[in-house]
Amino acid sequence: MTTIADVERFIVREVRLLDERRFEDWMALFDDDGYYWAPAALDQKDPHDHVSLFFDDKKIMATRIERLRHPRIHIQTPPSRTVHLVGNVEIEEVDAERGECLAGCAFIMLEYRPGHDQRTFGGRYQYRLRRRGESFAIAWKRANLINCDGTFPALAVPF
Amino acid sequence: MGYSADDLAALVREDRVHRSVYTDPAIFELELDRIFGRAWLFVGHESQVPNPGDYVTTTLGRQPVVMARGWDGLVRVLYNRCAHRGAKVLTEERGNARQFRCSYHGWAFHPDGTLAGLPLPEDYPASFDLSDPAYAMMPMRHASYRGFVFATQSAAAPDLETHLGQARIGFDEVCDRAPAGTIEFAGGCHRYEYAGNWKHQMENLADTYHPIACHESTVKKDGYQFQRRTGEAGGQAKFFDQSGKPLVPLLGVWAFANGHNSEASLPFHEEQTGEVFMRYRALLVTKHGEARTREILKPKRHNLSVYPTMDIIVLQNAVRVIRPLAVDRTEVKVYPMRLMGAPGEIFADHIRFLNQTHSASSFIQSDDVESFRRCQEGLLAEGPEWSVVARGVGREASDQAGVRFGERSSEIGQRNQHAAWVKYMTGAAVSWEPAPL
Repeated sequence: MTTIADVERFIVREVRLLDERRFEDWMALFDDDGYYWAPAALDQKDPHDHVSLFFDDKKIMATRIERLRHPRIHIQTPPSRTVHLVGNVEIEEVDAERGECLAGCAFIMLEYRPGHDQRTFGGRYQYRLRRRGESFAIAWKRANLINCDGTFPALAVPF
Repeated sequence: MGYSADDLAALVREDRVHRSVYTDPAIFELELDRIFGRAWLFVGHESQVPNPGDYVTTTLGRQPVVMARGWDGLVRVLYNRCAHRGAKVLTEERGNARQFRCSYHGWAFHPDGTLAGLPLPEDYPASFDLSDPAYAMMPMRHASYRGFVFATQSAAAPDLETHLGQARIGFDEVCDRAPAGTIEFAGGCHRYEYAGNWKHQMENLADTYHPIACHESTVKKDGYQFQRRTGEAGGQAKFFDQSGKPLVPLLGVWAFANGHNSEASLPFHEEQTGEVFMRYRALLVTKHGEARTREILKPKRHNLSVYPTMDIIVLQNAVRVIRPLAVDRTEVKVYPMRLMGAPGEIFADHIRFLNQTHSASSFIQSDDVESFRRCQEGLLAEGPEWSVVARGVGREASDQAGVRFGERSSEIGQRNQHAAWVKYMTGAAVSWEPAPL
């Protein structure tokens, strides 16, 4: 039985890993076929026929994180400081047979780099989660920004 | 301050440019008049408006415009402005409408810009002729090359093909890669902006010197960059050889008349392979034969930039469009292109690689825009006056068509853009400009 409290505990930890820049631990939450997706269009159906802000399978995610660890990644010199706030957690669908659920929540992320204005991002996360013992593996995480089709100064860290 | 033509010409020398060209708001305003108000500017591709009534809106320099397909099937570029009291007529980025209706008083226009109707026409005096073109959405001078639509405010500018000159080759090479011989803008566009002058982006498009430092974080220990080209093999460019010697700065840059440039291809040392790629290749062989196909697929150029706002990213099958917003603020859009007639997976691959190379979160572009921002901040220093572009001066070679090539990490491309800048800004050519044919 998957409760909202289980899902919320998992999501709170997931975004805290990003805030603590524990990117490798964050990546480990994704299943082998998992992916992280931030669409660039409202209600975007498919990451393969339209551009996205992020569309990282684990291979691309690994390349991104390797670069985030590089001493000469200029867009992260100095690095971003972020804080995520999540709320309004809901379980939208349960597939008990496969041990999966579809969950959603609202999010706000603040990002600050010294020398830059603080930025605010917000929208709705959706997750496909697979039961792994007491916790979950992420089949996919989708970050739907309310301004996903806007123009952004460079982005470096996931929402 | 006001700038005379002599003042402006003095800001550019063959091997250096004055910092104020990037930082002075007065120069930026002059650029909007004299470069963006005179040059042919890329608007969009005809495939964005396939059906009558389809439109896309954009801004060219200061001008709000719409590219629309009329009931006669022709694509036009119109000023996006009501002929009555001046309100912007179309506010969506794209759409389809039988009539373009102004929200303020309800004047409505056909997609070719002519006035379709208005409320209470009887209140105009009898002498008032509503069929006068003055009461239509005014067309801009426009033309297209292989479906790529350009517009200019200038009646005096030479025709589009003359403006593009030998740089037409970049359009031809991209279209030739499509088994159907044409491309389509599909899949939306990436959008990013940066706190810097528009010329930083344009100059970066002819800069084979920067990748080894700027993009160091994208290169793995074996000297290869991450995969950015379709296929199982041959997708990774080699940045450094085994001894650590940089390879990318050996590429060189072609300089065309009117400020257009092209970087030679990144070093791809392997042929592309893979089931999907071979299926695509077979379609080209059926159409063109083996020898021509090999020529079409040979990595020749990384990109081709069309001064002052467009870049064909040949390697990634994409088009970049630069829009100046302020002296220190620039917006860039990057549109993927579908090679018509190619297997669908090829386009999916382009989308996937373009996310990595040209999204706002890209592994590459983000370090470029950080550098543009630092240039903008650094150029505010008033002690040192010049930005230096002297690499390869005196070592350019010219071919029979008048195209010049700067070998290795030559800054010929930046010099070529600055020559075009002087010509637009002052009306006079500089001595080092490549001669148009």
